[in-house]
Amino acid sequence: MSADEPLLEVRDLKTQFFTAEGTVRAVDGVSFTVEEGEIVGIVGESGAGKSVAASSILRLVEDPGEIVGGEVRFKGETLVGFEEGPDGELRERDEMLSNGEMRGRIRGREIAIIFQDPMESLNPVFTVGGQLQEFIEINRDLGGEEAEQEAIDMLREVGIPEPEARYDDYPHQFSGGMRQRVLIAMALACEPSLIIADEPTTALDVTVEGQILDLVEDLQAKYETSFIWVTHDMGVVAEICDRVNVMYLGEVIEQAEVKDLFYDTKHPYTGALLDSIPRPDETVEELNPIEGVMPEAINPPSGCRFHPRCPHAREVCIEVHPENRVVDGDGTPHRGACLRHEETFMAGYWGSDPLGNETQGETDPELTTDGGGSDE
Amino acid sequence: MLSYTVRRVLQAIPVMLGIVTITFLLTDAIPGDPVSIMLGPSPSAEQAAAIRAKYGLDQPLYVRYVNYLADVVQGDLGRSLYFGEPVTQKIMERLPVTLLLLVSSFTFALATAIPLGVISAKRRNQPTDHVSRVVALMGVSTPSFWIGLLLIIAFSFHLNLLPATDLIMPWADPASVEGASTRWDVLVTAGEHLIMPTITLGTLQMAAVTRIERSAMLEVLNEEYVKLARAYGVGESTILRKHAFRNAQLPVITVVGLQLTQALGGAVLTETVFSINGMGRLIIRAINNQDYELVMGTTIFFGLTFVIGVILTDLSYAYIDPRVTYGERE
Repeated sequence: MSADEPLLEVRDLKTQFFTAEGTVRAVDGVSFTVEEGEIVGIVGESGAGKSVAASSILRLVEDPGEIVGGEVRFKGETLVGFEEGPDGELRERDEMLSNGEMRGRIRGREIAIIFQDPMESLNPVFTVGGQLQEFIEINRDLGGEEAEQEAIDMLREVGIPEPEARYDDYPHQFSGGMRQRVLIAMALACEPSLIIADEPTTALDVTVEGQILDLVEDLQAKYETSFIWVTHDMGVVAEICDRVNVMYLGEVIEQAEVKDLFYDTKHPYTGALLDSIPRPDETVEELNPIEGVMPEAINPPSGCRFHPRCPHAREVCIEVHPENRVVDGDGTPHRGACLRHEETFMAGYWGSDPLGNETQGETDPELTTDGGGSDE
Repeated sequence: MLSYTVRRVLQAIPVMLGIVTITFLLTDAIPGDPVSIMLGPSPSAEQAAAIRAKYGLDQPLYVRYVNYLADVVQGDLGRSLYFGEPVTQKIMERLPVTLLLLVSSFTFALATAIPLGVISAKRRNQPTDHVSRVVALMGVSTPSFWIGLLLIIAFSFHLNLLPATDLIMPWADPASVEGASTRWDVLVTAGEHLIMPTITLGTLQMAAVTRIERSAMLEVLNEEYVKLARAYGVGESTILRKHAFRNAQLPVITVVGLQLTQALGGAVLTETVFSINGMGRLIIRAINNQDYELVMGTTIFFGLTFVIGVILTDLSYAYIDPRVTYGERE
């Protein structure tokens, strides 16, 4: 692993689900990196492919899903890698880790995961301590007693009161927030370099969510573990992430530092996501939800996939598919996939006819005021 | 766990009381007069009256009920009219035979069904799975007595390999068993006698348990905690054996508990087909002879077996799933 190589590099990752209705392109050419000690967000609506992207990194995609292309490199190892075979078909590269190597060297040991639903993630018939201890034994090559001590220490670290006493309790004797703390302890106790947190606070109520986020920030600073934080909540992104990837229909459509993403939004979808949540720095009469629902990933719209819902869509957006490109090179590169950045894409956006997707909130405010006034 | 056990046993008392009451009333409602069966077609009035007085049949229903209940509570199920022996003695005589048959057929059923179901789930939609599913489907839809008859035709009449009638108790005295001189001979003979009745009675259980084991395993293998174990590098065989298996046994236990009661009914048929003198044939003879004391006694005993089966099911539930007894410890 060379010095300037990122901890994790995902390049052009493609994961598809082969269903009776057709091929679902859940992850369709996603690229991003995670540096050491960084929290990288993946944000988007339900069905955008965030969770599939996360589980593809660990090669845990379930039937009928399959990783069909792209590359995932982690600490100089190839977790996913394809090359073209002699007949032009894609095949797995030789240096790609085998399933046994993934299980023995990567999963839990190097990359741990925290799932969305703490109520379902612990096995109801085993004690919490026993489950923790088992994973520590597997991933840190510790004996039973050392692993138990480690588990108790880690439970204390994540704020479980009287960890020795709670060790032999069963999951149903813990609240949702406490169980999520247990799962965080589980991830940290294996001392991985990277933790994938797949919507870990979505199932929790807001106060508990706040506590968990604070806890993760503290522990992240202490252990310097990198995180991939999957969420649909822009508020969580703002609170915890260093850099963000916004996903829409299997693609990353904007990629930036968290500050740039919020204050210098480059993609209309990101803008719409931000408009749909309450913000402390802006007072609005009512929130502005994104019109329509996300289309099926079986038959994504042509051109820019967001064009049917985009308030700024023009004729050219139906024709030309914007790649994710650097649209603002100042500081950390800010990447976006929108044709409005004419200087980057040069697709003739401004000369194209509008599609008329504008909602009331998007039309010229002066016109609305005039029209409304004469009616009343 | 102890208080849970005690509570479940106490809850069984009213159930048993209900079984005794219903059995008593139903037996009383059976048409026909036991006295006429005992004394032949045209008894003299004095004889009949004497018998009625002896068995207390001249008393009103509620008095007889209270008397019977008092006897049952003391473990006295009355005296068989046909055999002239106490009902409990008759049951104790026949019970080991039926228990041997039940234990043997359940061992056969579970020993084949659990691995078959697990493998089926692990290799879902592969050839192994298809074969085991077809076998299970045939097993649940074939009447047990028919399997028994086919086995007798094939292995007793045509191949002459296995005996077609009776059971030999493995603990029987070698001197009493034909052609046996040592304990080993008795065991072999007992085994030969047991094979066909076991398959006859056990096939239905085997098939039913295979199906439920497969579906329960498939469901558990989709649980988040199984995915989590996989994400933490736990091997597939450990996941199957440890993380999934225990959870999947909950529905299996329910089915096995229910099968236990079904097997009592199955034992009646199996014992008839193989001419085995167990509880099943005893109950049939009791009914044919209008031996009402024996009918009540054996019915209540079957009821007791059912209640014990249910309690055992509940206790295994509590043992496997800590959530069942939760809240009782405090």
